[in-house]
Amino acid sequence: MEPNRASGNDRENEKGERKDKDKGIKRRNRLFIRYLERRKTDTIVDDDASKGDISIATLVRRSHSDKTEYSAKLKEKMSPHDLSSPTSPAMDPDEIRLRRMTKRSKVIEELVRTEGDHQKDLELCISEVLLPLRAAQVVDVDRLFTNTESVCEVSAELLQRLKYAVADPDPETQLIGEVFIQTKAVMEDVYKVYCYHHDEANALLESYEAQEDIQQHFRRCISALKKIYDQEGKPNLLDMGSLLIKPVQRVMKYPLLLAELWNATPTDHPDNRPLQEALTTVKIINININEFKRRKDIVLKYKRSDDETSLMGKLNKLNIHSIRKKSDRLTSYFKILTGVEPQVRDEAFDREEKLFRSLEKAVRQLVKNTSCYLLYTQEMISIAVQNAQDLEAIIKDPDKIDTNGFQHKRNGSDPYKQFKDQMEQLVLAPLSSLLGMFASPQKLIQKRYDKLLDYCSQLDSRSSKEEQGLAKKDYLALNAQLLEELQCFNRAVRTILTNCLICVVKLIQKLMEAAQPPVLQIPVPMSNFSEVQNSIMEELSNLGFFKENSQKLMERKVSFEKRDKKTVPEIPRQMEEQRAWLLEEYAVDRLYQLKRNCNACQQSDISLLEGELVALLEDRDPMGSSSRWLVHTGSTQGYVYSSFLKAYNPQREVTERPDDFDNLSLFVSNSRSSSMRSFSPYSASDSVSPAAQDEPDPSEDQHFYAVYAFQARCEQELTLQENQHVRILQFSDLVGNKDWWLAESNGQKGYVPANYLGKMSYA
Amino acid sequence: MSWIPFKIGQPRKQIVSKTVERDFEREYEKLQKVEDQTKKLHKDMKKSTEADLAMSKAAVKISGDLLSNPLCEQDLAFLESMTALDTAMKRMDAFNQEKVNQIQKTVIDPLKKYSSVFPSLNMAVKRREQALQDYKRLQSKVEKYEEKEKTGPIMVKLHQAREELKPVREDFEAKNKQLLDEMPEFYNSRIDYFQPSFEALIRAQVAYFTEMHKIFTELTDQIDQGSLTDEQRKQENEAKLNELRALSIVAND
Repeated sequence: MEPNRASGNDRENEKGERKDKDKGIKRRNRLFIRYLERRKTDTIVDDDASKGDISIATLVRRSHSDKTEYSAKLKEKMSPHDLSSPTSPAMDPDEIRLRRMTKRSKVIEELVRTEGDHQKDLELCISEVLLPLRAAQVVDVDRLFTNTESVCEVSAELLQRLKYAVADPDPETQLIGEVFIQTKAVMEDVYKVYCYHHDEANALLESYEAQEDIQQHFRRCISALKKIYDQEGKPNLLDMGSLLIKPVQRVMKYPLLLAELWNATPTDHPDNRPLQEALTTVKIINININEFKRRKDIVLKYKRSDDETSLMGKLNKLNIHSIRKKSDRLTSYFKILTGVEPQVRDEAFDREEKLFRSLEKAVRQLVKNTSCYLLYTQEMISIAVQNAQDLEAIIKDPDKIDTNGFQHKRNGSDPYKQFKDQMEQLVLAPLSSLLGMFASPQKLIQKRYDKLLDYCSQLDSRSSKEEQGLAKKDYLALNAQLLEELQCFNRAVRTILTNCLICVVKLIQKLMEAAQPPVLQIPVPMSNFSEVQNSIMEELSNLGFFKENSQKLMERKVSFEKRDKKTVPEIPRQMEEQRAWLLEEYAVDRLYQLKRNCNACQQSDISLLEGELVALLEDRDPMGSSSRWLVHTGSTQGYVYSSFLKAYNPQREVTERPDDFDNLSLFVSNSRSSSMRSFSPYSASDSVSPAAQDEPDPSEDQHFYAVYAFQARCEQELTLQENQHVRILQFSDLVGNKDWWLAESNGQKGYVPANYLGKMSYA
Repeated sequence: MSWIPFKIGQPRKQIVSKTVERDFEREYEKLQKVEDQTKKLHKDMKKSTEADLAMSKAAVKISGDLLSNPLCEQDLAFLESMTALDTAMKRMDAFNQEKVNQIQKTVIDPLKKYSSVFPSLNMAVKRREQALQDYKRLQSKVEKYEEKEKTGPIMVKLHQAREELKPVREDFEAKNKQLLDEMPEFYNSRIDYFQPSFEALIRAQVAYFTEMHKIFTELTDQIDQGSLTDEQRKQENEAKLNELRALSIVAND
């Protein structure tokens, strides 16, 4: 505040000048606290000094010389000092007090007055500039003026309270401090917002400089305002910039005013304590506003710096300082990596960060999976439509058209299309943009981590207090900002995520509902579904072409079957008359009877049935073997194995019942004989005589010899040596296996493999 | 078409009347078309079952991934809703699998069986063709002999040729008749054959969708406590997104 003119009330006309000075000074007040600490004495002209404010600049230049003096006086003012003035020790306490009280009342008056002015200015600003501009709709009024209206309200309230407080005529009981304490929260909020956005507003204002029509609007409003000011005798209005900066200046004035007031208040005044408190409060408000701005600046700075990815940009940034910084960071990072705990931790931040990461992952996955799902659904529906068309094509023909239910498939494409569109709109779009938003905080978190490392390393190192302080400040500012905003961020993301999920589910539900085919009468499920089809298939197979040709196609199978079904050709039975003729023709001793059936296997063999009568013609076969005999059956002649024949005894017409067992053995023997023929050189001595379980008659057919030696592997088996004679007791084993025969030799019995044996022929 | 074209410049006696030829051709063509269509349908149905399964798997993945997200540990309400979602998706998958199996049994397998008839048909037609060729050949031989002068050996040869011709002609006639009778029958059988398949297909779809609808209605009741309309949700999302954009830490794009 104006130090050496505090007592002077009559400087109304200088107020304008003062106000100008204030503007320049108040601009610097933003860095005020730091200013005090650093004792910088050079001009600090803010970057965002609006160019239109020429007078400010000149003012600043002009008052450069004043500054040092002024700042010194300011400092004096701000620091609490003895109330007792050393220059007048002779004054008695009462007089001092009186003086103080006078001063106090003057300051109070000024406070109230300036507040009133401020409030009025704001009102005028609103009515003359803001509202018309808003009506004109050429500028973004909200961004320019932010919450000027709220500021005005707060100011009005403050004014009212102040007036109320000073309404009390007794100066002893005027409590100003209280007023400020009560309104501090509201004040802080409102002014914080305003100051926060002031930069942007200024930037916007600058951008409007180029636009002539907007400038016209401005000029018009301002001239209107100026007129009013002129009427009131305050010809100090310059332009939009100065208008905008008024609240900023005001809030910075409070500490000064209050400081002065407090100084002027005697210690025994009841207002002393509250004033002190109020002073601190107001100072804190200013600090907060600064800090708030600083955080934002830091974030902007790092956000901006990360956007520069050009190589030249990166190279430009490389300098000793940055290299040192980076290497410091790396060391800290490794320290942490190797398990050393960082000295500074922020639990809340870590929690938020974790949440942040999970949310990001969730959103990312949801986007990916949902698009995948959508893709597949599209595919499926296109194929399904194709199917319906195919089916229709098959069944459709001049003859019969079955359209039941075809419609459903065709209509199916519509609900699916809707599904796809809505899914994209409601879910994928917001989620994708959301995903994009994660990138920047990500970078900032990384930066914060770097800052943390810096700070930690600073704590260890012996760097100066200043550097430590700076690192700490940086880190804290970034941390606090990130923490606060991450919380907001996470909350909002969570809401969006939940919403999207619910949307997904609802959409699927709608789809399922709509995709139900509107079939009015679903035909009763045919329980004999498969039967119907099978019967049709059977009918088809009965179609001639199918039968014939499928057989041809499965030739091998068929031929196998056919082989099995080869019917055994009928053997003509011997007739009675043939027997009679035989009996007549041949002597009894030359007549033989068949012991069993025999099949012709070799050339010129004949098939005979058991019990038939044959007459021996020759007891040799053309090859000289005596096991095959030429016989006459009465109708034909042929060869038969002698083993099948026994002498005919007219008295005994025994018809041995053919045994299936024996028949089988015949067949088997046929095949075996063929196999035996292959490896046995004694081809004459082949066919096995059928096993006769009953009489162990020592006929030729039971004598065999071992073609090969055979080693018994167990008790039941019989060891044979080569050319050993054996007598066969049974031509199969107990289970009917023809490959093992029960043989006897040298008093021993045992099973021997049939193919090791060769028939003995005594011929 | 594999009919031997008429040799130019040689007038031939029509062995097989044109109408018969035409009929035969027409029927055969129809059947060939049916064959192609059946094959195509078979392929498409297989593709569609695959697509069905893929779609279902993608849906399960949505919920599976979210369930395994660490978010579930931090936020209990989220965990609950995710579990519900996951259960629903898994059930959907199970039903889908069932549906696919059902379709496989009732549509795809019968399709295959039906297709297996075609090779025989084709072979039969080929053999008829061969028979026709033989018939034509012998017939021309007979005619050739008939045109020659009636000498002894020629007569013998003619007689022989006639004898040869007879069985061949009969064979051909038989084949022809058989095919002409049976082809329309075959053709008509397809309708009755496919109808049950088709009905089964519809039935499976209906069952599936009804079930799904039920499941998802339950699910929405479970997780949607707010019950806003879609529009409201959209607006809420927009509002939140704007809020996010206003934050300083978010980049301005």
